[in-house]
Amino acid sequence: MIRGVRARLTATIVALVVVTAAVLGLAASLFVDARLHQQALDDARDQARFDLSVLAPSILDDPPTPEKLADLAAAFKFRGLQSIIVPVGGVPSYDPTTLQGTFETLPASVRRFVADGQVAYSWQDVEGTPSLIIGGRAGGTGPEIYLIRDVGGIELALGQLRLALAIGALVAVILAVVAARVVARGVLAPVDEASQAAQRIERGDLSARVPVTSDDEFGVWADRFNRMADSLEDTILRLEAAQAQNRRFVADVSHELRTPVTALVAEASLLRDHLGALPPAARRTGELVIQDIGRMRDLVEDLMELSRFDAAGEEVRLQPVDLGRVIRGVAAARHPDAALELPDDRVVIDSEPRRLERILANLLDNAREHAPGALVVVRLRATADEVAVAVLDRGPGVPPDRLERIFERFYMADPSRRGGSGLGLAIAAENAALLGGDLLARNRSGGGLEIQLRLPVTQPLPDGDRTAIHEDEGDDR
Amino acid sequence: MTDTRILLVEDDPSIREVTAIGLGAAGFTVTTSSDGVEGLERFKADPFDLVLLDVMLPRLDGYEVCRQIRKSSTVPVVMLTARADTMDVVVGLEAGADDYVRKPFEVPELIARIRAALRRAGGSAGETNELSLGPIEIDVAGRVASRAGQPITLTRTEFDLLLELVRHAGQVLTRDTLLDRVWGYDYLGDSRLVDVAIQRLRAKIEADPAAPELIQTVRGAGYKAVR
Repeated sequence: MIRGVRARLTATIVALVVVTAAVLGLAASLFVDARLHQQALDDARDQARFDLSVLAPSILDDPPTPEKLADLAAAFKFRGLQSIIVPVGGVPSYDPTTLQGTFETLPASVRRFVADGQVAYSWQDVEGTPSLIIGGRAGGTGPEIYLIRDVGGIELALGQLRLALAIGALVAVILAVVAARVVARGVLAPVDEASQAAQRIERGDLSARVPVTSDDEFGVWADRFNRMADSLEDTILRLEAAQAQNRRFVADVSHELRTPVTALVAEASLLRDHLGALPPAARRTGELVIQDIGRMRDLVEDLMELSRFDAAGEEVRLQPVDLGRVIRGVAAARHPDAALELPDDRVVIDSEPRRLERILANLLDNAREHAPGALVVVRLRATADEVAVAVLDRGPGVPPDRLERIFERFYMADPSRRGGSGLGLAIAAENAALLGGDLLARNRSGGGLEIQLRLPVTQPLPDGDRTAIHEDEGDDR
Repeated sequence: MTDTRILLVEDDPSIREVTAIGLGAAGFTVTTSSDGVEGLERFKADPFDLVLLDVMLPRLDGYEVCRQIRKSSTVPVVMLTARADTMDVVVGLEAGADDYVRKPFEVPELIARIRAALRRAGGSAGETNELSLGPIEIDVAGRVASRAGQPITLTRTEFDLLLELVRHAGQVLTRDTLLDRVWGYDYLGDSRLVDVAIQRLRAKIEADPAAPELIQTVRGAGYKAVR
């Protein structure tokens, strides 16, 4: 953008200088050209009048003899003029004789004017030399006399003038380019500075400001820019503080809740053994207490886990994991009826089994929650680049416009259903991201939801489970 | 097991009381204490078969109490941790704890873990044979490992782990197998227990723990002792 402005400014100034130089040069050269030709013509005409009315009659007799004609030609030659003399009713004589061709190229109008006793002229090339031919009759009625003047000097002078003008124009253009650069730099310096400041802000340095160095429009603009940056910095810092406070609050609340929840969970586990001894009404209440304590426990644990993600205090310790084994284990614990579709070969990747178990358990819980009693399939697929574990259910699915939102915290696709903490998929997504993978949800053809866990492949597949003896696991974990 | 004495150190009154009730109902004799310093004094005053330690304790935290206990005793110690983060687990095991139970816990689950720890501490009666692993000699009945006649100080868990590996020398044991046989866990136990315990065991028996020769890692599978 800045480079564009600079180029445009330069181009504009240079174009102005070029046009000005061209117009001035053309006008000057046309004017000088006309003046020089007019001057030459005036001189030639004065000279011709003298030659025709004074010189020729004084030399020629009547009728002119060839000798006298030769004398006249010699007189012209003495003054540097070539001549063609045509006696009345006679044969033209040429001096030098090479002029015969030229005589034939004379315009008919010139011949006619001369024949009528007037003085006429023609600018034309004579054997490659720019010349002025001026003609008339000696004494008004005598022989036709054409005098040829070499005017090459005029063209030479004009050529030099044009060269001088061109050099002048070139110098002007170079000066214009330099001047344009200097002006552009001066004009654009504040823009450059503002651009750098904006870039620093973009990269997160909210303290970047533009130096205010002048009182002109740029100075005002820089001041405005700085005020905008002040307000932006203020707002962002406030928002960050508010967000941090929010997170701390959630972390504190869930942490504070943990101690009473621990007591409640332990108490409920003891109460369960004694439910049978309670009177029926109290027994049902006791069952509900135990069940709700379980729900509260899940919610508090989920909140605590998310707080840890928010505090970015989670670390990943990778180790070789046999995915099929993890899937079988989690399915057995969480959803024994799930159908497992596992490849024949073992699929081993570097990952963290605890997090994988957490993700898969949450996906299975979600499937059971939304498709009670329906068939749930867990499918493991591995290619050279990617490993994917999909959990497929035959529940109601999710409206397409809300598919992305199911990984948000407390998002409920079906608000009437209230099981689980509403945080399970959010936790699964955070764990997946931590493992370098992601979760992808889509509706299945024929109804139901498919949530796919995609994981990066970090070692060769499918026979990636190479035995490496003499290798200390402590080093690579 | 009619008179198994357990010291419970826990600062929250409700958790302390309900845990004591549950353990008492399961047939254990429970002594309770509400802070680290007092807990340590109780431990020194009377003999106990197992210590249950909360991590976050007033005055002296659970890790430090465990370290103090380990100076004089190999009694099984089970930590109650508020968080099951890697750091908590590793610090607890390095302080000499045999196992940890994550809060919140259900009392029957806690009792199962306590019984597993007690079973391991009870040893495998009836075995009298001597085993060896390289320069390490293992007296199974006496539960002592030694190198060139010098006894090596191992916790019960470390000894059991060593014994399990040596009994199946040359054979790869997965982390889950070790969890099951040494700690008595079902599948959903934490395999980091195994890794941390292996590292500690190597530090005590290997000539160069960074390049272990006696207990080897089989990547993607588990561990094995050399034959």
